[in-house]
Amino acid sequence: MAKGLWKILALSLAGILAIMVLVVIGAAAAVLASERGLVQKDAALLAVVATMAVLMMALSLWLGVAWMVRIDEAAREAHKAAWFYGGSGGLAVGGVFIILASTPSAARLTLPAWFDGRTDPAAYAATGAVGLMALMLIGYGVVWGWWWLARR
Amino acid sequence: MNNRLKVLRAERDWSQAHLAELLGVSRQTVNALETGRYDPSLPLAFKIARIFEQPIESIFSED
Repeated sequence: MAKGLWKILALSLAGILAIMVLVVIGAAAAVLASERGLVQKDAALLAVVATMAVLMMALSLWLGVAWMVRIDEAAREAHKAAWFYGGSGGLAVGGVFIILASTPSAARLTLPAWFDGRTDPAAYAATGAVGLMALMLIGYGVVWGWWWLARR
Repeated sequence: MNNRLKVLRAERDWSQAHLAELLGVSRQTVNALETGRYDPSLPLAFKIARIFEQPIESIFSED
Protein backbone atom coordinates (compact mmCIF):
# COMPACT_ATOMS: atom_id res chain seq x y z
CA MET A 1 0.00 0.00 0.00
CA ALA A 2 1.35 3.43 -0.96
CA LYS A 3 2.72 5.72 1.70
CA GLY A 4 0.11 7.80 3.48
CA LEU A 5 -2.79 5.50 2.64
CA TRP A 6 -2.80 3.91 6.12
CA LYS A 7 -3.08 7.40 7.59
CA ILE A 8 -6.12 8.08 5.39
CA LEU A 9 -7.71 4.82 6.51
CA ALA A 10 -7.07 5.63 10.17
CA LEU A 11 -8.44 9.16 9.77
CA SER A 12 -11.47 7.78 7.95
CA LEU A 13 -12.22 5.33 10.75
CA ALA A 14 -11.83 8.14 13.27
CA GLY A 15 -14.16 10.28 11.16
CA ILE A 16 -16.78 7.52 10.96
CA LEU A 17 -16.60 7.06 14.73
CA ALA A 18 -16.91 10.82 15.25
CA ILE A 19 -19.98 10.93 12.97
CA MET A 20 -21.55 8.00 14.84
CA VAL A 21 -20.99 9.76 18.18
CA LEU A 22 -22.44 12.98 16.76
CA VAL A 23 -25.47 11.09 15.43
CA VAL A 24 -26.11 9.43 18.79
CA ILE A 25 -25.80 12.78 20.60
CA GLY A 26 -27.96 14.48 17.97
CA ALA A 27 -30.58 11.73 18.10
CA ALA A 28 -30.69 11.88 21.90
CA ALA A 29 -31.06 15.66 21.79
CA ALA A 30 -33.78 15.36 19.14
CA VAL A 31 -35.72 12.79 21.19
CA LEU A 32 -35.49 14.95 24.31
CA ALA A 33 -36.52 18.07 22.41
CA SER A 34 -39.48 16.34 20.76
CA GLU A 35 -40.62 14.79 24.06
CA ARG A 36 -40.67 18.25 25.64
CA GLY A 37 -42.61 19.55 22.67
CA LEU A 38 -39.84 21.91 21.54
CA VAL A 39 -39.71 20.42 18.04
CA GLN A 40 -41.79 17.94 16.06
CA LYS A 41 -40.42 14.39 16.02
CA ASP A 42 -40.27 14.19 12.20
CA ALA A 43 -38.49 17.53 11.92
CA ALA A 44 -35.94 16.47 14.53
CA LEU A 45 -35.34 13.16 12.74
CA LEU A 46 -34.93 14.97 9.42
CA ALA A 47 -32.36 17.33 10.93
CA VAL A 48 -30.33 14.47 12.44
CA VAL A 49 -30.42 12.31 9.31
CA ALA A 50 -29.67 15.26 7.01
CA THR A 51 -26.66 16.22 9.14
CA MET A 52 -25.44 12.63 9.19
CA ALA A 53 -25.92 12.26 5.42
CA VAL A 54 -24.01 15.47 4.63
CA LEU A 55 -21.18 14.55 7.01
CA MET A 56 -20.94 11.01 5.65
CA MET A 57 -20.86 12.13 2.02
CA ALA A 58 -18.33 14.90 2.80
CA LEU A 59 -16.13 12.33 4.54
CA SER A 60 -16.51 9.90 1.63
CA LEU A 61 -15.57 12.59 -0.87
CA TRP A 62 -12.56 13.63 1.20
CA LEU A 63 -11.47 10.00 1.51
CA GLY A 64 -11.78 9.50 -2.24
CA VAL A 65 -9.79 12.63 -3.07
CA ALA A 66 -7.11 11.91 -0.44
CA TRP A 67 -6.78 8.34 -1.76
CA MET A 68 -6.64 9.45 -5.39
CA VAL A 69 -3.82 11.98 -4.86
CA ARG A 70 -1.68 9.47 -2.95
CA ILE A 71 -1.87 6.42 -5.22
CA ASP A 72 0.62 6.12 -8.07
CA GLU A 73 -0.12 7.21 -11.61
CA ALA A 74 -0.94 3.75 -12.99
CA ALA A 75 -3.43 3.12 -10.20
CA ARG A 76 -4.92 6.55 -10.91
CA GLU A 77 -5.24 5.72 -14.60
CA ALA A 78 -7.02 2.49 -13.67
CA HIS A 79 -9.56 4.47 -11.63
CA LYS A 80 -10.01 7.05 -14.40
CA ALA A 81 -10.67 4.29 -16.94
CA ALA A 82 -13.00 2.54 -14.50
CA TRP A 83 -14.90 5.75 -13.82
CA PHE A 84 -15.33 6.67 -17.48
CA TYR A 85 -15.83 3.32 -19.21
CA GLY A 86 -17.31 1.37 -16.30
CA GLY A 87 -19.43 4.21 -15.00
CA SER A 88 -20.64 5.09 -18.50
CA GLY A 89 -21.42 1.44 -19.20
CA GLY A 90 -23.46 1.25 -16.01
CA LEU A 91 -25.26 4.47 -16.92
CA ALA A 92 -26.03 3.08 -20.38
CA VAL A 93 -27.60 -0.05 -18.89
CA GLY A 94 -29.54 2.10 -16.43
CA GLY A 95 -30.59 4.36 -19.29
CA VAL A 96 -32.34 1.43 -20.96
CA PHE A 97 -34.46 0.93 -17.85
CA ILE A 98 -35.19 4.66 -17.61
CA ILE A 99 -36.43 4.70 -21.22
CA LEU A 100 -38.45 1.52 -20.66
CA ALA A 101 -40.06 3.17 -17.64
CA SER A 102 -41.66 5.71 -20.00
CA THR A 103 -43.70 3.02 -21.78
CA PRO A 104 -47.39 2.45 -20.92
CA SER A 105 -46.77 -1.17 -19.92
CA ALA A 106 -44.23 -0.01 -17.31
CA ALA A 107 -47.01 1.97 -15.62
CA ARG A 108 -48.80 -1.33 -14.92
CA LEU A 109 -45.75 -2.96 -13.33
CA THR A 110 -45.93 -3.75 -9.66
CA LEU A 111 -42.43 -3.30 -8.38
CA PRO A 112 -41.23 -4.73 -5.10
CA ALA A 113 -40.47 -2.21 -2.40
CA TRP A 114 -36.74 -2.30 -1.81
CA PHE A 115 -36.42 0.80 0.33
CA ASP A 116 -37.36 0.04 3.91
CA GLY A 117 -40.56 -1.66 2.72
CA ARG A 118 -41.98 1.66 1.55
CA THR A 119 -43.78 2.24 -1.76
CA ASP A 120 -44.10 6.04 -1.76
CA PRO A 121 -42.56 8.21 -4.55
CA ALA A 122 -39.46 9.14 -2.50
CA ALA A 123 -38.77 5.46 -1.79
CA TYR A 124 -39.09 4.55 -5.47
CA ALA A 125 -36.83 7.49 -6.44
CA ALA A 126 -34.23 6.30 -3.91
CA THR A 127 -34.55 2.73 -5.20
CA GLY A 128 -33.91 3.96 -8.74
CA ALA A 129 -30.92 6.02 -7.64
CA VAL A 130 -29.43 3.11 -5.69
CA GLY A 131 -30.05 0.80 -8.66
CA LEU A 132 -28.23 3.18 -11.00
CA MET A 133 -25.37 3.56 -8.52
CA ALA A 134 -25.13 -0.24 -8.27
CA LEU A 135 -24.94 -0.60 -12.07
CA MET A 136 -22.24 2.07 -12.26
CA LEU A 137 -20.29 0.43 -9.44
CA ILE A 138 -20.50 -2.98 -11.13
CA GLY A 139 -19.20 -1.41 -14.35
CA TYR A 140 -16.50 0.39 -12.39
CA GLY A 141 -15.33 -2.82 -10.73
CA VAL A 142 -15.33 -4.79 -13.96
CA VAL A 143 -13.29 -2.20 -15.88
CA TRP A 144 -10.90 -1.62 -12.96
CA GLY A 145 -10.23 -5.37 -12.75
CA TRP A 146 -9.87 -5.65 -16.53
CA TRP A 147 -7.43 -2.69 -16.61
CA TRP A 148 -5.05 -4.38 -14.20
CA LEU A 149 -5.48 -7.87 -15.66
CA ALA A 150 -4.61 -6.52 -19.11
CA ARG A 151 -1.37 -5.05 -17.71
CA ARG A 152 -0.07 -8.04 -15.81
CA MET B 1 6.27 1.85 -26.59
CA ASN B 2 9.16 -0.52 -25.83
CA ASN B 3 11.49 -0.21 -22.89
CA ARG B 4 14.59 -1.83 -21.37
CA LEU B 5 13.40 -1.61 -17.79
CA LYS B 6 13.50 -5.33 -17.13
CA VAL B 7 17.04 -5.65 -18.51
CA LEU B 8 18.29 -2.62 -16.60
CA ARG B 9 16.71 -3.88 -13.39
CA ALA B 10 18.18 -7.37 -13.89
CA GLU B 11 21.65 -5.89 -14.49
CA ARG B 12 21.45 -4.30 -11.06
CA ASP B 13 19.94 -7.40 -9.50
CA TRP B 14 17.01 -5.38 -8.20
CA SER B 15 13.63 -6.87 -7.46
CA GLN B 16 10.48 -5.26 -8.83
CA ALA B 17 9.57 -4.32 -5.28
CA HIS B 18 12.89 -2.53 -4.81
CA LEU B 19 12.53 -0.59 -8.03
CA ALA B 20 8.95 0.24 -7.08
CA GLU B 21 10.18 1.65 -3.79
CA LEU B 22 12.83 3.75 -5.52
CA LEU B 23 10.23 5.11 -7.95
CA GLY B 24 7.54 5.60 -5.32
CA VAL B 25 5.05 3.41 -7.18
CA SER B 26 3.50 0.00 -6.57
CA ARG B 27 5.10 -3.29 -7.69
CA GLN B 28 2.12 -3.82 -9.99
CA THR B 29 2.95 -0.55 -11.73
CA VAL B 30 6.58 -1.63 -12.25
CA ASN B 31 5.31 -4.90 -13.71
CA ALA B 32 2.93 -3.06 -16.05
CA LEU B 33 5.81 -0.81 -17.15
CA GLU B 34 8.16 -3.74 -17.76
CA THR B 35 5.65 -5.64 -19.85
CA GLY B 36 5.17 -2.52 -21.97
CA ARG B 37 1.46 -2.46 -21.27
CA TYR B 38 1.61 0.85 -19.44
CA ASP B 39 3.50 3.89 -20.68
CA PRO B 40 4.76 6.15 -17.89
CA SER B 41 4.09 9.86 -17.64
CA LEU B 42 6.98 12.20 -18.44
CA PRO B 43 7.75 12.85 -14.75
CA LEU B 44 7.92 9.11 -14.06
CA ALA B 45 10.00 8.50 -17.19
CA PHE B 46 12.48 11.17 -16.04
CA LYS B 47 12.60 9.58 -12.60
CA ILE B 48 13.31 6.18 -14.16
CA ALA B 49 16.07 7.72 -16.27
CA ARG B 50 17.60 9.37 -13.21
CA ILE B 51 17.55 6.15 -11.21
CA PHE B 52 19.23 4.14 -13.98
CA GLU B 53 21.52 7.10 -14.84
CA GLN B 54 20.68 6.89 -18.51
CA PRO B 55 18.96 9.20 -20.99
CA ILE B 56 15.24 8.55 -21.48
CA GLU B 57 15.70 7.66 -25.16
CA SER B 58 18.09 4.84 -24.27
CA ILE B 59 15.47 3.28 -21.99
CA PHE B 60 12.29 3.94 -23.98
CA SER B 61 11.83 3.56 -27.71
CA GLU B 62 8.91 3.72 -30.13
CA ASP B 63 7.36 0.48 -31.38
